[in-house]
Amino acid sequence: MASKKINKKDIAKLLNQWSRDFAVFAPSRESGVATMARWGGKDTGFLDWYRNTVVAPKANFLPQMEEMFRFQKDGEGYHIELPPDGEKQLIFGIRPCDARALAIIDANFKDLYQDPYYLSRRNNAVLIGLGCTSPGESCFCTSLGISPAESNDVDLMLTDIGNELLAEAVSAAGKKLIAKTSGLKAATRNDEARAKEVKKTAHNKVTRKINAEGIVERLLACFDDQGFWEKVAAKCISCGICTLLCPTCYCFDINDELIKQQGTRFRSLDSCAFPVYTKMPMENPRAEKWKRVRQKVCHKYGFFPMSFKDIACTGCGRCVRLCPVNWDITQVINSVPAKTGVKK
Amino acid sequence: MTTTNISPSQFLAQDNVYLPHIAVIEKIIEETPNIRTFHFNFKDKKLQKDFSFESGQFGEYSVFGIGEAPFCISSSPTRRHHLEFTAQRVGRVTNALHRLGVGAEIGFRGAYGNSFPLDFLKGKNLVFVGGGIGLAPLRSLIWNVIDNRGKYKDIDIIYGARTPADLCFKYDLDIWGRDKTIKFITTVDRGDESWKGKTGVVPKILEEAAPSAKNAVAIVCGPPVMIRFTFPVLTKLGFTPEQMLTTLEKRMKCGIGKCGRCNIGNIFVCRDGPVFSYEQIKGFVSSEY
Repeated sequence: MASKKINKKDIAKLLNQWSRDFAVFAPSRESGVATMARWGGKDTGFLDWYRNTVVAPKANFLPQMEEMFRFQKDGEGYHIELPPDGEKQLIFGIRPCDARALAIIDANFKDLYQDPYYLSRRNNAVLIGLGCTSPGESCFCTSLGISPAESNDVDLMLTDIGNELLAEAVSAAGKKLIAKTSGLKAATRNDEARAKEVKKTAHNKVTRKINAEGIVERLLACFDDQGFWEKVAAKCISCGICTLLCPTCYCFDINDELIKQQGTRFRSLDSCAFPVYTKMPMENPRAEKWKRVRQKVCHKYGFFPMSFKDIACTGCGRCVRLCPVNWDITQVINSVPAKTGVKK
Repeated sequence: MTTTNISPSQFLAQDNVYLPHIAVIEKIIEETPNIRTFHFNFKDKKLQKDFSFESGQFGEYSVFGIGEAPFCISSSPTRRHHLEFTAQRVGRVTNALHRLGVGAEIGFRGAYGNSFPLDFLKGKNLVFVGGGIGLAPLRSLIWNVIDNRGKYKDIDIIYGARTPADLCFKYDLDIWGRDKTIKFITTVDRGDESWKGKTGVVPKILEEAAPSAKNAVAIVCGPPVMIRFTFPVLTKLGFTPEQMLTTLEKRMKCGIGKCGRCNIGNIFVCRDGPVFSYEQIKGFVSSEY
């Protein structure tokens, strides 16, 4: 299918049109931090400031907190009630790094047992990617096989070509969406050439690099080097912000709440940075901070790829940008020695 | 990625592994002052009939309004009149469980995890080594083996606790002690005037009993410190790492390998275990167990 284009001035019209069929989410700063927020109907000019959201769009699929079911007791015992229907979401403007992150963590939620909460949202969402043309200083996506303005993990990919956005369908759902959408203009060969140039330029703007070569083996080789991990963990304050904002961190907790006989079982994001995460009544396998930091690094760059092939990091840079003590995973990965370190 | 037409709530209802089944507590046995065994049955009679599990598997048990916690099924799949689990009062959920009475409803998800490899154990001499509440998963297997006695060779059971009052499943111990086809030893770290069994920690008593490693498999479960000291003794007796099995315990929230916390390297105890051979454990990336 030939690509289309959208005038930036028509973004509001377009999102309003899509709002008829979807719960539309777009970048917003209304809450004080950049998030994917429910589209309010009026152009907020987000294209002018949007680089990426602080809260990764994983929140649309694995919310910080979500109700799993409710329970109530009557004379016959407990009754369980599922939450109401989810919405068909359309996420507008997701960056290639964050779209890849979802594709990566799908593996966890599909493996062996299907996770109905996450997967029902994934199966009922349309992702509209928006190429990133000004990657931040902390971004390092290209070291992980991602290009900031290109994605196969979305349904429709948009590229900023000046006054307009070029729209290219990536999936069948993207094609269907283009066919159903009115007001799109056919793109010219010039537009497409311009988009190609924009993608190439964006790619070259990512200057931060990590050396991920042989990282699984390198990590396994220095896994028992306590001195190395103590040094790596020294300034971490176990606040967990890197994991909570990370687009590929999916660890969660399950808890109950009971208010006036109305009970809720909910799940919430959890973090390997917290000692209580692994704490059992009698012992804790990761009571020490260096073990928790080791777990974080090794899960992303070692254990996850051992189980599912992909490294569970997309170089989005949030953990580097937003860490209160400037802990920097890129420095850590680059400092993991080539496979000559302490062997088990 | 494709969009499907299935509505999210249909999906949630149809295939929701997180929804607990309602079960009713039918009997409570006070094993020790802080350990209780709960007999339960599912409220749904069809489920009670269709439910299947293997020795070694565990479930996630809910006290509604308090939360979920994992315990092994401590009864045997060969005895399906009801199901059993055993819990020590140590945390939030177990304290709530201990406040429940007969007739109370709990939630159950499972059975999860792998199980003791019955095919591998068939035709072998079995040496059970248990400590304290660690007898719970072994007990499911022991009754399973007793109920299929012809499939297995000699049975040794060495079980210990800190004091006579800390021994669990005394009603089972009595039966196994009288069973002429079982070599049965109980031991306590500290005895009292009426104690007639052995005195000494489990690994030491195991070394004295010295069961033969020939055509044998040792199945070990107890507090981590007991397990750590038992493997070297078994090694000394000639058991190879493949001939030693244990079941590991971790904080397991989801029970199905998704929530992240029970990993040891790339192994998830809930999904890949909880039963492992010492050979597997030696191969783990991490010693965080």
